Amino acid sequence: MLTREQALAEFDFARSAVLPDRLTTAAHGRYLGYAERMLALYRQGAGRTRRDLHRAVNDVFVDEPDCPQRRIDAFCKLLDDASLYERDRRGQAAKLRREVFRLAAPRHPLVHSADRLFENGEARVKLEIAEKLGRPWPDVEAGLFADIIEFHRLERFADFADGRALLSRYNVAQIQAALFDAQVMSVWAAEDFKTILRYAKLARLMHTILRLESGEYLFRFDGAVSAVRETRRYGAALARFLPALIACRGWRMHAVIESRHTGWKLSLDLAATDGLTSHLPPPDEFDSQVEEDFATKWGTEPRDGWTLIREGEILHQGQKVFVPDFVFRHDDGRTVLLEIIGFWTPEYLDAKLATLRTFGARPILLAVAEPIRRGLPAVSNDVLPYKSTLKVKDVLEYLSRSGFPA
Amino acid sequence: MSATGPRLSFVGGTLLLEGFSGRGRPVLGGAAEWIWDDRVHGWRCDALAYPALRTDPLFTAAHVTDAVPAWQRVTWPKPLLRKLRPDQRQAAARWNQTGRGCLVMPTGTGKTEVALNLIAGAAVSTLVVAPVRDLMYQWHRRIAEGLGYDAGIIGDHLFRLSPLSVTTYDSACIHMERLGNRFGMIVFDECHHLPGRVRADAARMCAAPLRLGLTATPERSDGRDIELANLIGPTVYEMAIAEARGSTLADYEVVRIPVHLSNDEQRRYERLSRELRTFIHERRTADPGFDWEKLCAESARSPESRRILKAFYAKQAIEDRAEEKLRVIEDLFRLHAGEPCLIFAGSNAMARDVSLRFLIPCLLSHCGKKERLDVLQGLEARVYPALVANQVLDEGVDMPDVKIAIVIGGKASTRQAKQRLGRVLRKSGNARATLYEIVCVDTNEVERSRTRRASDAYDKVRHRRERPKS
Repeated sequence: MLTREQALAEFDFARSAVLPDRLTTAAHGRYLGYAERMLALYRQGAGRTRRDLHRAVNDVFVDEPDCPQRRIDAFCKLLDDASLYERDRRGQAAKLRREVFRLAAPRHPLVHSADRLFENGEARVKLEIAEKLGRPWPDVEAGLFADIIEFHRLERFADFADGRALLSRYNVAQIQAALFDAQVMSVWAAEDFKTILRYAKLARLMHTILRLESGEYLFRFDGAVSAVRETRRYGAALARFLPALIACRGWRMHAVIESRHTGWKLSLDLAATDGLTSHLPPPDEFDSQVEEDFATKWGTEPRDGWTLIREGEILHQGQKVFVPDFVFRHDDGRTVLLEIIGFWTPEYLDAKLATLRTFGARPILLAVAEPIRRGLPAVSNDVLPYKSTLKVKDVLEYLSRSGFPA
Repeated sequence: MSATGPRLSFVGGTLLLEGFSGRGRPVLGGAAEWIWDDRVHGWRCDALAYPALRTDPLFTAAHVTDAVPAWQRVTWPKPLLRKLRPDQRQAAARWNQTGRGCLVMPTGTGKTEVALNLIAGAAVSTLVVAPVRDLMYQWHRRIAEGLGYDAGIIGDHLFRLSPLSVTTYDSACIHMERLGNRFGMIVFDECHHLPGRVRADAARMCAAPLRLGLTATPERSDGRDIELANLIGPTVYEMAIAEARGSTLADYEVVRIPVHLSNDEQRRYERLSRELRTFIHERRTADPGFDWEKLCAESARSPESRRILKAFYAKQAIEDRAEEKLRVIEDLFRLHAGEPCLIFAGSNAMARDVSLRFLIPCLLSHCGKKERLDVLQGLEARVYPALVANQVLDEGVDMPDVKIAIVIGGKASTRQAKQRLGRVLRKSGNARATLYEIVCVDTNEVERSRTRRASDAYDKVRHRRERPKS
């Protein structure tokens, strides 16, 4: 991630909108070449100091008319984030400093030219210290501050797939940087609820969940203090969450940004259709092969009036959420929730059962693999055992018996 | 505890009151501003309101289960505290009357001593918040010396929580959502750093009933110092700097030494100045409103403007690192041979220049804890004759016995000047303290030096005439 120092955005005060810097093929075609050159610098940069590499990156842009310094600094940061620099782990530079300064202390002050009062000339003392340490003075001098971050040397570069990948990362990183000052984020989503909520939780955000008439969900993400006052303190968490959101499908997002300088409220809007690419892979459509096979076999058409919807409904209570794997919705309005338990570890099973107890008010059909069923404690849910695959026939039979009210 | 009765807990830096209906705002805690949080079906307010809540008789009457305090009584192994002077005793007594408030005492009058005494007396889990890493480690050391306790450290990539812990404002701000109920007492060192849109969270999200603020300079240029009363407590004791001078602190004077650029530097400086002037003249002719901001904005679109910006910074660097400054430092070292000496540089590069020229330790932000300690204690023990630092020593770091300070470049901020002065004002014998200021003449640095001296810390200070220049 970038830091505030590398954040670059324009402000459209007429629409009170923040527009994070974005490089596009149409407007910034040349940047693809720059990106490749920067990558080449880092790929061949092993052994060079950070300061040296940053200067070389700056030189890439020397004739580019459209290039704020912050954009260059941001590229350096993203490249550095993918780099491993040799660090003076054993504190050799500090040890050398201690040694040299202690050797020099009794000779203080080192004067430019020695006289009768002050007899310790700078050049001579340095020479003597170098002799004592058994290495030439320029060598000692080069080692004295080798632990300073600008003087670290590049060891390995994890690399990006290509220049385009670096530019994609840049575009996402600038949106993240704009989110540092966000107070709250709203996300409208039609699918991938599980991933969205899971990553929001990983980023330690709190949610408010609203089902809209369209069947879409509206999530509001912020934190505990947000209830008491407007605060930017969850901005970094929202920024961390963003790449996961971008990897999802069918969403749009609106964030309220508080300008650090003026305190004004600005908005940041984004949608899945904006063509951004996350470095995270898109979420798996299904958690397991059993789910995937079942959904494929069921198909997209209704069977006996029942339509199968993946992650169709979110159960939530306070800050606890549960997204059952499937929802069956009948033409007459009845719904049945289905959760497949095909894989287990004791911890997984315990957590799942606790969740089921929390949401006990809603009937959830459990499809449980045979070997697990034997170890499954008594649950109040209806249980549909299956062997290696969950059969459409069995489920339909259960649904025809089910008299769940609408 | 009844499962259904009302319950107060600490959650993410706020107090959460559950078991009350969402219809009517609870009337508990006087000024506490309860807000209904539908996400968790409870009332919330800032953790800061906790002491007011606990002293509200209604709180007891309502039979609220209090799950907030996670702090504990502490008995100190072996306090080795120095006896307080009468003025320090008075400060401590004033704070003890209410257990909350700020002590305003000039640098060098022993704020830390007073605080350690109060911490020892409170005998409860305590968190000390310091502005920077160095001061955090200094508190750690002082606690080890005074209370015989190895305090926990939160910050500087460490998270070691103990009933007595030290941290920085930045770390406190980040971690208070998890720490806010772990301490019964919180100490804000240099508490003028606390007010602010984000930083105040370090106090707002903390439930500690005992709150102590320490500062030499409570006033802020943005006037936000009023918030301190709310976040910590009112000023309960104030010692004026004029009172402190002469009695507790050594007398001091300020000597300004002008230096000139070398011929070579002068040539480069003038070439860069010409380049800048020509550019700005041309631009102003075309656009009379052309200014620095426009130049910066333009640099995004024009390599020419970027070059001009670079020229400007190069010009500053020439001032900052003028060779003559090194020669003047040599003169001062000769003049004060045998006296420990502290040098403040305006940039890391200049600090390294000085360090390399004289082979004296330099204290920069990258130095590890061990090295810092070695350097600071080494100066005190006269193992090292002098040390050079940039802003890491700007505030509050104890510098016993240093009577000579040299400032080479630096910003014009009033507080910085006061703090830097404070460093050489430590009490020790009757030796006079001297602050030398080395500035380039015919450059902007002179202007900054004038602004610096306008601060009241420089009032009534004898200014020696400038050294005549051949």
